[in-house]
Amino acid sequence: MAIAKRVPMREQDPKIRITNFDSVPLGYSAEEAVKEAKRCIQCKVPLCETGCPVRMEIKNIIQLIADEKFEEAFFLSKKDNAVPAMTGRVCPQEDQCEGVCVLDKTGQPINIGKLFAFVADLARKKDLNEELKIKENGKKIAIVGCGPAGITCAVDLRKLGYQVTIFEALHMAGGVLQYGIPAFRLPRDVVDYELSYLEKIGVDLQLNQIVGQNIAFEELKKEYQGVYIATGAGAPRFLGCEGEKLKGVYSANEFLIRVNLMKAYKFPDWDTPIICGNSVGVIGCGNVAMDAARCAKRLGAKKVYVLYRRTKECAPARNEEIHHAEEEGILFREMIAPCKMFGNEDGWVTGMQMVKTEFKGCDKSGRPSPVYIKDSEFVIELDTVINALGTSPNRLFLSNVEGLDTHSWGGIKTDENFMTNIPGVFAGGDALTGGSTVIEAMGNGRDAAEAIDKFVTGDA
Amino acid sequence: MKHTITRKEVLNSADYLIDVVAPNVAKRFVPGNFCVLITIPEGERIPMSIQKVEGDIITLYFKKLGKTSRELDTWKVGDSIYKIIGPMGSPPPIKKYGTVVFASDLVCGHAENWAMCEILKKIPGNHIISIQSFPTEADIYPDKELCEPVADEFILATEDGSRGVKGHYLDVLQKLLEERKIDQVFAGGGIPPLQKISELTKKYNVPVYTTVRQIMVDATGMCGSCRVFIDGEQKLACIDGPMFDGHKVDWEAAISRLAMFTTKEAQAMDCLNEKMKGVK
Repeated sequence: MAIAKRVPMREQDPKIRITNFDSVPLGYSAEEAVKEAKRCIQCKVPLCETGCPVRMEIKNIIQLIADEKFEEAFFLSKKDNAVPAMTGRVCPQEDQCEGVCVLDKTGQPINIGKLFAFVADLARKKDLNEELKIKENGKKIAIVGCGPAGITCAVDLRKLGYQVTIFEALHMAGGVLQYGIPAFRLPRDVVDYELSYLEKIGVDLQLNQIVGQNIAFEELKKEYQGVYIATGAGAPRFLGCEGEKLKGVYSANEFLIRVNLMKAYKFPDWDTPIICGNSVGVIGCGNVAMDAARCAKRLGAKKVYVLYRRTKECAPARNEEIHHAEEEGILFREMIAPCKMFGNEDGWVTGMQMVKTEFKGCDKSGRPSPVYIKDSEFVIELDTVINALGTSPNRLFLSNVEGLDTHSWGGIKTDENFMTNIPGVFAGGDALTGGSTVIEAMGNGRDAAEAIDKFVTGDA
Repeated sequence: MKHTITRKEVLNSADYLIDVVAPNVAKRFVPGNFCVLITIPEGERIPMSIQKVEGDIITLYFKKLGKTSRELDTWKVGDSIYKIIGPMGSPPPIKKYGTVVFASDLVCGHAENWAMCEILKKIPGNHIISIQSFPTEADIYPDKELCEPVADEFILATEDGSRGVKGHYLDVLQKLLEERKIDQVFAGGGIPPLQKISELTKKYNVPVYTTVRQIMVDATGMCGSCRVFIDGEQKLACIDGPMFDGHKVDWEAAISRLAMFTTKEAQAMDCLNEKMKGVK
């Protein structure tokens, strides 16, 4: 009989961690990891693996950990996943591998995410590198965007022998891993180390290169046998309500880019500033909303509200993120929707008019649909508002590519092999889907790498 | 890529220029584009207007105003800037307009004035009038940095009349609009005068492109900090602009939002002053 309960994860005390940007989970020790791995009953048909977008050999990796073969476990993870320390931390495992773990029925599922992070962290500390024998095939692939999809596609194609060049617009690689996810969820030494893998295996990473601006897209098409567009969905959405012009109103992207990419929490040692008030309202209840709210808390805000038109039970944020946010004193105000923002004579936001909601029916995804309750408006005083309403595909690159078919909402159209209407030009990740998870984008990158290889070798 | 400074010159007591190696930006630069500067690894991503491109070298104008421009002023020829990115932005059409006026009153506007006049003058059918206004004679840039060589007509103005025509560019333009047929106006520099030039040209029914400077973070369309409201519709200065039809810009919002970080800018300056005291 398997042990029902997980080996608990040690975490930074909430009172302390809201004063720093260090990792919240402290990670398993070897002993804890082995104990947790030994709970695994090694199912004949491992359901966990069916839920993994990058198709990791989860069952075998867990067995290796249970047998204390940590290095082997790491190499087996790395076979299918270029960045296991990152996905171990940010995957929504409860909806994927852990969600289908049979132990969930009688107790708690195996803590797969934290086990894989343990193995990858150990490998980082030892600087373990697999021996890769790459047989060069002399063919060149260009990848636009160095986020999860681009990274994964680059690694897979490089392993097949392609010369891969990634063009990244920002001054740091990683995409959302760098600008979006805060260090207390994804420590920067982990990000830097796992991204250094690209250069280790010979991927040519070109930062500050904005395809369509300083390099013509036509040049890429001429010089490379295949192009993969992985420009992501980083364009912020706003409510479109009155008051959006006010000072103190941010998109979650701006708030997080200032904090994560530009290190505004280190101002004035770092140059980029951020102004975070005492009473912060975050609109939305996804993972990005949780990240923004928890950053605001760490920047010293006294009250941070998450304002959500449904209940947190049907929120898109991971349970773990909501749980951590609550521990840190984030206040959830559910079943309310924003109407408009108010400001003072200096143009700073002072509050928001909200309206109460109730559920009527369900939307296409099966989530209950909130509707406004008549005459239930009220005002909440805020000096900072953060819009975390989701993002749309980045427009900058797309506006520079002539003749590329896109949907009306901005996503790129592809066939079942991820090829766009331009032959040899493939697309993936959030640029295709409009926004999903890191691991979904990575899965997409893997599938695209396979399709690109088939296309270039004429095997399609 | 090494962005080495190859020339540095004083423009007036507050403004200076640098030439810097940036082939990535130079190659596809069109007037109306800007570039993003990160001077040091801990630096901000700062949008900058470009005055001129020659081969691999771009010329940038700075005002000693904020922390970065003050710090950069202590750098010398041979020093390197951490990153220069671009060209960014969507320039207005570079085409035959007829009689064109470019008016500027501030450092970034003067840089844009040169770049736009230079390219539009090359297009047959354009007649280019450049107006540059300064507060007083002592603020006027050295002759070779004024837009005279790149314009068909050049009007130098000082607000106190100490040299050239007396008045701000708004006064000069008003007179021109009364006397002559102007087909297109461009303007760059201080934001409040840009609001006024928009009102002025609207009165005379002449179209105007204005550079709507806003605070940017990534400058690639991801943060929304530089959102401006054009005929009520939200646009981003970094990818849709920064030059917009001045008649449609919500200037009140633009002026207000540009001041969002003034307290932080002052704090950064204080820190720099402390640091520089330590150096001496």
